[in-house]
Amino acid sequence: MRVPIEVTVNGKAHRVEVDTRTVLADMIRDQLRLTGTHVGCGTGSCGACTVMLNGRTVKSCCILAPDVDGQEIMTIEGLADDPRHLHPIQEAFVVNHGLQCGYCTPGMVLSALQLLNENPHPAEAEIRRGIAGNLCRCTGYQFIVKSIEAAAAKMASKK
Amino acid sequence: MEKAVMEGPRSIGQSAGHVEGPAKVTGRARYSADITLPGMLWGRALRSSFPHARIVSIDLSAARRVPGVHAVISGADLPEVRIGRFLRDIPVLARDRVRFIGEKVVAVAAETPDAADEALSLVDVEYEELPAVFDPIEAMAPDAPLIHEHPERYEHPPIPPIGGESRYHPFANVCSQSIYRRGDLAQGMATAERIFEHTFVVPPVHQGYIEPHACAAAIGPDGKIDIWISNKTPFIARRQLAAAFGVPEERVRVNPTSIGGDFGGKGSLMDSALCYFLARASRRPVRMVMNYTEELTAGNPRHSGVISLRTGVTRDGTIIAHQAKLIFNCGAYGAFIPLHFLHGSVHSAAGPYRIPHIEIESLRVYTNTVPRGHFRSPGAPQTTFAVESHMDMIAGELGMDPLEFRLRNVLVEGDESAMGERFHHIRCGETLTAAADAAKWNSPKPPNVGRGIGIYERAPGAFGTSGATLSLDRDGKLILITGAADTGTGSFTVLAQVVAEELQAPLADVIVCQGDTDTAEWEEGAGGSRLTHMAGRATLIAASEMKRALIELAARHFNCTSEQVQMRARRFIASDGRELDWKSLVAWAAEHEALPLTRSGSYVAAGHPDVTCYVAQVAEVEVDRETGQVRVRRMVSAHDVGTVINPLTHQGQIEGGLVQGLGQAMSEHLLLRDGAVTTAHLGDYKLPTAMDIPELTTVLVESQTGPGPFAGKSIGELSNVPPPAAIANAVFDAVGVRLTDLPITAEKIYTALRAMEKRN
Repeated sequence: MRVPIEVTVNGKAHRVEVDTRTVLADMIRDQLRLTGTHVGCGTGSCGACTVMLNGRTVKSCCILAPDVDGQEIMTIEGLADDPRHLHPIQEAFVVNHGLQCGYCTPGMVLSALQLLNENPHPAEAEIRRGIAGNLCRCTGYQFIVKSIEAAAAKMASKK
Repeated sequence: MEKAVMEGPRSIGQSAGHVEGPAKVTGRARYSADITLPGMLWGRALRSSFPHARIVSIDLSAARRVPGVHAVISGADLPEVRIGRFLRDIPVLARDRVRFIGEKVVAVAAETPDAADEALSLVDVEYEELPAVFDPIEAMAPDAPLIHEHPERYEHPPIPPIGGESRYHPFANVCSQSIYRRGDLAQGMATAERIFEHTFVVPPVHQGYIEPHACAAAIGPDGKIDIWISNKTPFIARRQLAAAFGVPEERVRVNPTSIGGDFGGKGSLMDSALCYFLARASRRPVRMVMNYTEELTAGNPRHSGVISLRTGVTRDGTIIAHQAKLIFNCGAYGAFIPLHFLHGSVHSAAGPYRIPHIEIESLRVYTNTVPRGHFRSPGAPQTTFAVESHMDMIAGELGMDPLEFRLRNVLVEGDESAMGERFHHIRCGETLTAAADAAKWNSPKPPNVGRGIGIYERAPGAFGTSGATLSLDRDGKLILITGAADTGTGSFTVLAQVVAEELQAPLADVIVCQGDTDTAEWEEGAGGSRLTHMAGRATLIAASEMKRALIELAARHFNCTSEQVQMRARRFIASDGRELDWKSLVAWAAEHEALPLTRSGSYVAAGHPDVTCYVAQVAEVEVDRETGQVRVRRMVSAHDVGTVINPLTHQGQIEGGLVQGLGQAMSEHLLLRDGAVTTAHLGDYKLPTAMDIPELTTVLVESQTGPGPFAGKSIGELSNVPPPAAIANAVFDAVGVRLTDLPITAEKIYTALRAMEKRN
C-alpha cells in the first residue's frame, strides 16, 4: 500500500508517496536521490546510513519512511554539499585522513556531529563510544578519532 | 636549504589528505549503487537453498506475470559460458545443478525492488537433493560426492611458472594443487636433531568492506555495453565480461565509480555479467545491488583451511628442513582468484627464514560451500598464523626465547630465500629488533600479561602493465587520467604527488581523473600491492615526458635549444639568464597552438623485484583467568619501508590493515553449518569497532631502496598478516594456553584454562 507523506529534508519540504514497507534510507536514496546516505549492512549494525531525524542520529535502514511523516531529516548533503565550503568536521576528516574508501564517511561525520553537539570537548574514550555504532573497515579508526579531536578543537575556537 | 629553494615545495613525503576527500565527506562520491539511468530496472537473483542438488525443473510463468516485471531468466536463457578471474568454472546462473547455498538460479528485472522480490517468490524450482560435502579433507576421500563431473572442460589461461609445479584438477574434488620443492627434504629431516609437527585450523572470514557489491548495465542503440561495477580492476573486468558476453572487448566499456572498500574482495565480476543479461532480456538498463546477507553468504570470502607443518632443527635452534601441507577449502567454485593458486600460501609457508630443505604442498579443494576468493595478501594471513605460531612452539620446546630463535633463523644480507629469491637490503632482523625494542620485549610483565611476535615478508607487486595519460590544460593545471580505481587506499593522491613532484607543481594543480576503459590507457589495476609501484612508475614516465615537452616549448619561446633550458621552481630559465614562469609558458603555448599538451606513460616491470618489505609485530595481551577474556593492550608494528610518498595514507594502510588482522585474530568467523553461513549479518559477523582498538605503535625502518617512484615500496598488505600469530603467541606467554585455531575466543581460553587446572 502506498501512502503520501510530508517530510522536510535538509530544510526543504517534500511530499512523497511511499510504500508502507519502504525504509527511510531507500526513500532518501531512490526518491529524493540523495545518494550520500549509503546502505551497508541494512540491519542497523554498520551505521553507513546514519542521518539526523529531528536533530538526532538514526540508522535510516531501520526506520520506516511512513513513520517520519511531518518530521525533519538532515542528510550529509544538508551539512555542507559544496566541497569548497565544508563544515569543520568534514574538513577535519579530509585533512586528517579520517576516511579511505568513503563509504562509512557520511554516517561517521553525522555521528561525530551529534557527539560534538552534546559534548563539545570529548575525551578520546568518549569519541570512540560516540562512533561505536559506525563501522569502518579501512582506517582502523585512529585517524577518525584524530579527525574528530581536530574538529572539536576548531569548533571550540570559533565559539 | 638551497636545494629546497631551487626545487620548490616537495610533494613526496607530504602528508596530503585524500584528493577525493571533499567529494567523500559531502556524499558526492558516486558508488556503483548510486548509478541511476532513465528507465532503469532493479535486478534481483533467486539463490539456491540447497548445498548440492540437481535442478529438475524451473517454472517462471507466474513470476513473469507480476506487474512491473520486465524479464525473468534462468540458466537455460543464457549462452553456455562459465566465468572466472583465471579458472572459468562458475556459470552466470546455475544450469542443471547447484553446488552451494546461495548459488544464483533465476534472475529478474523489475521496475521496483518489491516487484522483483515478489516475482522471485513465485518462481518454482524443483530440486533433487544430492549428497553434499563441506569439509575439504572429507571431500578428498574416495567415496566423497563428486562436486564437478567434468572439471577438465573448464577453461583457463596457461598456468604461469610460479608456485612450483601446479596443476588444475589433479584428482577428484581438488581444484588446484601446487608443490614447491627446494633442497632435499628427506636428507634435511635426517640431519635434524629435533623434528616438530603441528596442525592449525583457520576459519573463513569476510573482507567486510562496508559497500556490498553493486553493478549496473546498459546497452546503447549501437550495441555498446556500459558497465558500472564495484571492481578494482576495470580493464580485467572488461576482458572477462567481453568473454562472457561473446563480444569483442571494445564493445564493452567499464565506467569509473568510487569503490566502498576492496581488500581483495572486489576483483571479481560478481553480479555484473548477470546484470548485462537482464538488461539484454528486458531492453532496459538494470542495476543490481547485493544486500549484506548475500555478501556474507554468497560473496567471495577468504579461504579457510587446515595447515600442517613439520620442521627439523638442530639442538641449537637452527632450521634445517621444513615441510608444509596446506589444505584450503575453495568452496564450490575456483573462479574467484586471479591465479591458479593462493600465492601467499606457498610464499609464506616458508616465511622469511633461511631453510635449505623445503617442501610445500598447497591444495584448494572443492566443497559444497560458498566459493572462496582473495582477501588482503591472499593465503598469507592463514599460513602466517600457522608458521609463526609453530616457530614459537619450537622455540618453547627448545627452551629458547622466541625473539632469539627468530633472529638466529631469519634471512640476512646475502642469503637466498627459501623460495629461491635473491633480495638486497634484507632488513628482517633490524625490523624484528625495532619491534621488540619498541615493545620493550624484555621488560617485566604483570601477572597474566604476555607478549608475542609475528613476522611476515612481502615484496612490492611487479606484474602486468600500467598506463597513465597526463595533459596540461589552458589554466596550467595538470590532468592525470588513470585507468586504475582508488579502492580507498589513497592511490590517486599518491599518483598526484608523483606528478607534482616531477613537475614542481603545487599538489592542488594536479587533478586525477579515473578514465573509463575507452579513454584511459590500459591499467592492470589495484591488487598484489602493485599500484604505487607500477601505476606510480607509469605516471612518473608521463610526468617526465611532460617536463621534457615543456622545456622544449620554452626553448622554442627563447629560440634556443632545449639543452639550454632548465626548469627550476616552476620557472624555465635559459642559459643566457632569460626566464619564463609556468603561467607565461602556458599562455604562450596556448597562443602557439601547443595546447592541449598530452604525454603518456606505460610501465611493465622488468621482473621480480630485488628488494622486499618486512613487517614485525609484537602484541601485548592480558588474559582474565576467570573468564578467558583476552584484552589486547598494545600492538607494535615495525615496517621496513622505502621512501614514504605520503606519510598520512601510508599510516592509514598500516593502521587499517592491523585492525583487520586484529578482527581476524579476535572476533571474525564466518560460521557455516551444513553448508549454510549462519553469521548472515553484521550483527553476528563481528568486525572491530572504534572501542576495540588497543594502543597502536608504528615504527618505520626507512631506506630509499624501493622499486617504485622515488624509491618507494609497498605497504598495503603487510600489517594485516601477523596479528593473529602475534596475539596467539602472547596469549601463550601470558597464561600458557596454546590455541591452534582462530579466532581467539574467551570460550576457547576458558576451556583450556579449566583443563589445565584439572591436570595440575
